[in-house]
Parts: sequence; C-alpha cells; structure tokens
Amino acid sequence: MTKKAVDAVFKGLFTLTDIRVLLRRTAPLHELSGEDRSSVQKNLADLREQIRILEEELLR
Amino acid sequence: MRCTGDIEVRDLEELAINIDPIQAGGRLTAEAMKAIIAYGDGYSVCDNCRKPFRLDHIKKPPLDAFHRDLARFVGMDEARVMPGARRGFQAVADTYVGKGDPVLLTALSHYTSFLAVEGVGGIPREIPKDGQNIITADAASSRIEEVTREFGRPPALLFIDHFDYQFGNEHQVREIARAASSYDVKVLYNGAYTVGILPVDGGGLGVDFVVGSGHKSMASPAPSGLLATTREHAQELFRTTQAKGDITGRAFGVKEVELLGCTLMGATIMGMMASFPRVAERVKRWDEELANGRIVIEALRSIEGTTVLSEIPRRHTLTRVDTRNSFDRVAETHKKRGYFFTGALSEKGIGGVIPGATRVWKFNTYGLTTRQCEYLASAFTDIARENGIPVT
Repeated sequence: MTKKAVDAVFKGLFTLTDIRVLLRRTAPLHELSGEDRSSVQKNLADLREQIRILEEELLR
Repeated sequence: MRCTGDIEVRDLEELAINIDPIQAGGRLTAEAMKAIIAYGDGYSVCDNCRKPFRLDHIKKPPLDAFHRDLARFVGMDEARVMPGARRGFQAVADTYVGKGDPVLLTALSHYTSFLAVEGVGGIPREIPKDGQNIITADAASSRIEEVTREFGRPPALLFIDHFDYQFGNEHQVREIARAASSYDVKVLYNGAYTVGILPVDGGGLGVDFVVGSGHKSMASPAPSGLLATTREHAQELFRTTQAKGDITGRAFGVKEVELLGCTLMGATIMGMMASFPRVAERVKRWDEELANGRIVIEALRSIEGTTVLSEIPRRHTLTRVDTRNSFDRVAETHKKRGYFFTGALSEKGIGGVIPGATRVWKFNTYGLTTRQCEYLASAFTDIARENGIPVT
C-alpha cells in the first residue's frame, strides 16, 4: 500500500497547478512581486518534499 | 511541447494575455484544475452514486448541495447542471414550445437559441434592436402584440440575453420580463455572459428560466452550464420519465426526460463545483472588472480613428470596436496586410484576437489583473504609435 506515494503525486500536481496559475496571472512578462516570489519558494519546497516522499516510498 | 502524440500543449494562458471574447470567463480557477486532475476519469463522480441514482442526489462528492447552491446563486428555486447553455435552451424549448408555435428571440440572440426553437418546430420571430443596439421593453411589447395578431396566440416563449455576445450591451431584462408577464409569455433569461461573472437574481428580475454557461462565465470546463427555474415550472421542465419497455417492462426511476437522466458525470461538474466558491465571490467584484476594462477602453478611444461600437459607458468587459479608420488603414499598405496587427499583439504577448482582424473585432478583459490591463492598454497605443497613428 503506497497511499503516501499517491498522496505525494496529487500534492505535487496541485502545487505545480498553483505555479501554473501564478504564471497565468503574471503573463506575459512574469515579473513576480515579493509576495509571488515567496509563494513560489514555498511551492518549490513543497514539491521537493513530495519528491522526497516518492523516492522513499517507491525506490526504497 | 506536446501533451502526447500530435497534441500540443495549450499554453496560451500561461504565455500571453488572452482577450478572446468567449474565453475570458471560462478560464479555470486553480481549484478547478486540481479537481480535474483528480476526477478526469469518465464517470468519476459515480463512485458513491446510490438510490435514487441521479446526479443531483449524489452526496459524495456533494453534488446535491451544489445543485441547491446553484439555484440560490441565481435566485431561483431549482437548478440542474447542463452540458452548456445551449442544452438549457433546448430543454426549455422542448418543454414549452410546440410545432408551429411562435417564439420571440432578439436581433442579438445567439444562434443556439434559434436552433433550439427550430429543433421543436417553433417559429422564431425577432425583437428588433434600437439605434444603440439595445433590446427595449417597448420593442418587446410591440413584437408580442404583432406576433399574437399573426399567430392568433401569444409567443410560447421569449428569449432575452441580459448582455449579448455581439456588443456586450445590457438589455432591459427586468422591464421585458414585466411586459412579457402581462401577456402571459414565459421568459428565458440567457445569462451566458452574466451568470458567474456578475450578480444575477432571476427571481428578482421576474424571469421564468435562468440559463448560464459554465465554460463561458463560471470558470468551468466545456461543456457545462446551468438551467434554473421556479418551483412551479420545475415540475414540468424537470419532469421524470414515465417510459416503460413493452417487452421487458423496465422503468427508469427518477431520471429526468429533458436531461436524458444525468448530464455532467465527471470532470465538467467537478471543475464547475470546485470553482464555485471563487465564482460566488468574484461576482461581487464586478465593479473592479469594469474599472479594469475601462483602462483598455480609454486607451483604444485615444487612438485616432478607433470607435467603440458597444454602449458607452461600458457595463460589460466584452466590447466590440471598429478600427477601420485606424489599424485597418495601416493594413492597407503594410507588407503583412491585416496580419500586422495581430502579429504585433502576439509579439507583445497578447492573444485572442482573430488573426488578420483589423476592421471590427471584439475583446474581453474579464479576469485580467489591473497590471495586465495597463499592459494591454499600452500595447494598443504603442502599436498605434509605431505605425504612425496619432494617439491623443
């Protein structure tokens, strides 16, 4: 049972979706405000965490 | 980049400001995108479908509550989700229009309302627009009387767009509904360009049916929409099947005839439902959307020879402009001809205008940020200046 891995996949996709929406909101120049940058940093940290979980769950 | 095979990724919204008039209100929220990721499989909302086996009774995910929310959202008693506004038109026409019955539409009605009438053998008659491209209650009353004289009975139904798709002009819905009611004519409110982007109260307006488009104005995937009505009409419009197989004796429970049972059984309703909380909030910020739109309108009007064909002041973010005496003049001698304009827009990261259009065209600023509208406004005036058109 790799429920943790499945959750990590969804969480990762949802986090990428948040980044996608930010790209839309800032198109076409994608000049990010301080707040935008903070949110991207948080998103990327979350993505790394989901990748870590996937490595642990699926490649151990 | 490709999704797979020959299917290219659609990255227009990520790379550009898209001002396509029909796409603005249907852009998905992050919540809808996430729901679609999870519910993309065919009948994905049916995992927990239990008796009486109908979409609007499903509790997990909470589609039953969503249906009630939708009805309240548009000020009506009952609502169903539909595969697009056009299927809402069709359901109402199927129920209330008989072969040879006259039906009133307007000079600005969408073609799908004509087709819905045609499909049941109804006879379309139009209410003319006035000199400002507005459908007035006086014109509606006159046409009801003319049609009644012509057919010996009043129209079976009257379609009215709150805002039309051609100009984005506001029409006299409340007054028309009042007039129609005095002739005992049922009114279908076409909210394809309103439900989901500005507040709509069908009950307050006095209409019999409210039709909305999910993919046009409710941040939802296509095809999606809603059909809402009063408690009284719901009995007829959402009637359940009486059919029975003559050999098998099978009956089909509470399936609704006009909906052919269930309508949106997966990603479409989940996208619609996931977006709904934001949609319900965003309609309260319609004034901000209009203010953003005005930034672009004023920029276009500052370009010599450019005329806004839609009503001024603008009451909607969809606008029709005439640039025959500005950008089209440039096109006459430009090496790229009409494509110079959309090419220049594209280079500035702006999409959604029909390639080659330099004469009469439409755009919609709905959902853009103030910053994006300022950028868009500057892009129009910059392209004008770069091509020798005076900007005042």
